[in-house]
Amino acid sequence: MTDTIERRALSREQLLSAYRMMRAIREFEERVHREFATGEIPGFVHLYAGEEASAVGVCLDLGERDTIASTHRGHGHCIAKGVDVGEMMAEIYGRRTGSCHGKGGSMHIADLSKGMLGANGIVGGGPPLICGTALAAKIRGTGGVSVAFFGDGGSNQGTTLESMNLACVWNLPAVFIAENNGYAETTASAWSVAADNIADRAAGFGMPGVIVDGFDFFAVHEAASEAIARARGGGGPTLIEMKFTRYYGHFEGDQQTYRADEVERARAELDCLRRFAARVTETGELARADLDAVDADVATMIDKAVDDAKAAPLPGEADLLTDVYVRY
Amino acid sequence: MGDAIVGVVANPLSGRDIRRLVTHASVFPTAEKASMIQRMLTAFGAVGVHRVLLSTDLGGISAAVFRALGRRGAHGADARWPEVEFLDGQPIRQTAQDTVDAVRRMVAAGARVIVCLGGDGTARVTASAAGEVPMLALSTGTNNVFPAVREATTAGLAAGLVATGAVPADRATARAKLLEVWVGDRAETALVDVAACTERHVGTRALWEPATLTQLFCAFAEPDAIGLSSILGQLSPVGRRDPHGVTARLVPGAPRQVLAPIAPGLVVPVGVSEIAQMRPGAVHEVDASAGVIAVDGERELTFEPGERPLVRLRADGPRCVDVQAVLAASAGLGLLLREHGGGST
Repeated sequence: MTDTIERRALSREQLLSAYRMMRAIREFEERVHREFATGEIPGFVHLYAGEEASAVGVCLDLGERDTIASTHRGHGHCIAKGVDVGEMMAEIYGRRTGSCHGKGGSMHIADLSKGMLGANGIVGGGPPLICGTALAAKIRGTGGVSVAFFGDGGSNQGTTLESMNLACVWNLPAVFIAENNGYAETTASAWSVAADNIADRAAGFGMPGVIVDGFDFFAVHEAASEAIARARGGGGPTLIEMKFTRYYGHFEGDQQTYRADEVERARAELDCLRRFAARVTETGELARADLDAVDADVATMIDKAVDDAKAAPLPGEADLLTDVYVRY
Repeated sequence: MGDAIVGVVANPLSGRDIRRLVTHASVFPTAEKASMIQRMLTAFGAVGVHRVLLSTDLGGISAAVFRALGRRGAHGADARWPEVEFLDGQPIRQTAQDTVDAVRRMVAAGARVIVCLGGDGTARVTASAAGEVPMLALSTGTNNVFPAVREATTAGLAAGLVATGAVPADRATARAKLLEVWVGDRAETALVDVAACTERHVGTRALWEPATLTQLFCAFAEPDAIGLSSILGQLSPVGRRDPHGVTARLVPGAPRQVLAPIAPGLVVPVGVSEIAQMRPGAVHEVDASAGVIAVDGERELTFEPGERPLVRLRADGPRCVDVQAVLAASAGLGLLLREHGGGST
């Protein structure tokens, strides 16, 4: 149990890193929101703004041997797992310098070298993937843990439920993170999730299921840290449900006629960055100047990512037959 | 419309926190919370309660009761239920404030008893808003020192008999003690225990690391308790009706160690020293330099260097319905006796 206390006592470096990641995700998404409106970004983007504490609170205790699977709303998970922000932005712009050489776009950003198995255009597509990597980690004895992020919509998919069953049957080092932001596209989870709480479904598989305030970095980190340590120690899978709200629509361009003023309230009262900053400066763990310096760094980094992406070349004809399994 | 009114507030989130992960705590399904309310409605109807005010929530409890009411309408009722009024029309924030708002509305609407379904946290919040209206706390949470683990039907009979006035409130209720804690101008109350711990953040609220605990204050400490009060329950028991409370320092390396069930599924040695009585009104100081104050086992108030949390025991806590006393009085008065073939009151 002393382990728990040590895990929870975050060092100054860890706190700074967590703040940097959350700020980077926020700036990245706010910038993509503005740039998408200009029409320069091809395809669809689904923004993660508001949900930063989940990706960062979970990934803080993950390392190189650990893998994650993401969703269509994947930018936050990518950044939190260490994918290069410049390559991500280039990918979103469809440029040859992108993480997937400009052929994937927002919903397929992946970087296996970072243990990031990919954003995923298929709702409920991530959980089966992490059963595979978790099984591999178990058989090879690497000590690696696999984490699947999915939404409230994804929680209703057969693939997700089958994966939870399989992970429990095989006692895999897996953690299931249900990011319940209240809506599957435009359908309220209060209506579409029959169990009322996604976490309640864990009991049916014989694993622990807990609900966490997804706006609270410290709550997310505590719960994730326990679940990851349990998985790493051979204790089996856990389901954690984050309750929060996304700040933007399902996709950019969504008119959001299905909800009223909840985003304004969340931004004003619940925001994860605001709460984190208030708390760590109150305890004296970090100074306001530390946070300001991170903000300035991140702003520069995102500016550069956008400038570089816009200046980078598109894939050419010669790239058509690269990065494919079969060449006809 | 009569004035035998009962308020029922149910916490949709009780029994869902991290203790499911770290200590094998129980899971209390939403469907069971809704069923408990329905069993209570049957009991309320049997003893002549006129109206029930029910809290609304986004967790599915009030929705399930609403559906059940519709089904009864469609298929004919086999037992009378009172009129049920859903306390909607107010924003649901999915925080403890929802419980406070609902209880205040019940008090304002003239509820004579307020039943709360939840854990120690829900009971604490209900008590803070119930004023002089008697409360009956039923356990659907994790740590259940204050709320009783009891069949809802029986509890419903007792609450109903108090609401109708069939059993006089002075024979049916007992006043609980209360702990107040302040950090500057922030204040909280606890019904069972206040603990100081060295954690820096509120986080997931639950406490399960004995090494982080530094001081403990208990309104009562029963030998068969679950939760932090169990630490003193084995060393210096104090009953719910005793006028005093008890406090101690918790020191990991102390010579005296007690094996205590500080959370469901967790029995750990806790070092204890300097046990002292708490007299009502006397102010005790938390002398750690920084940390978090937990009330009834949940981290709530942070304090920083320069801030000194203060704790005080009060004798004038909430009035609580004593189910056993109510039903014993009912037996004495013959309140549930009926002539064969006769109707209920």
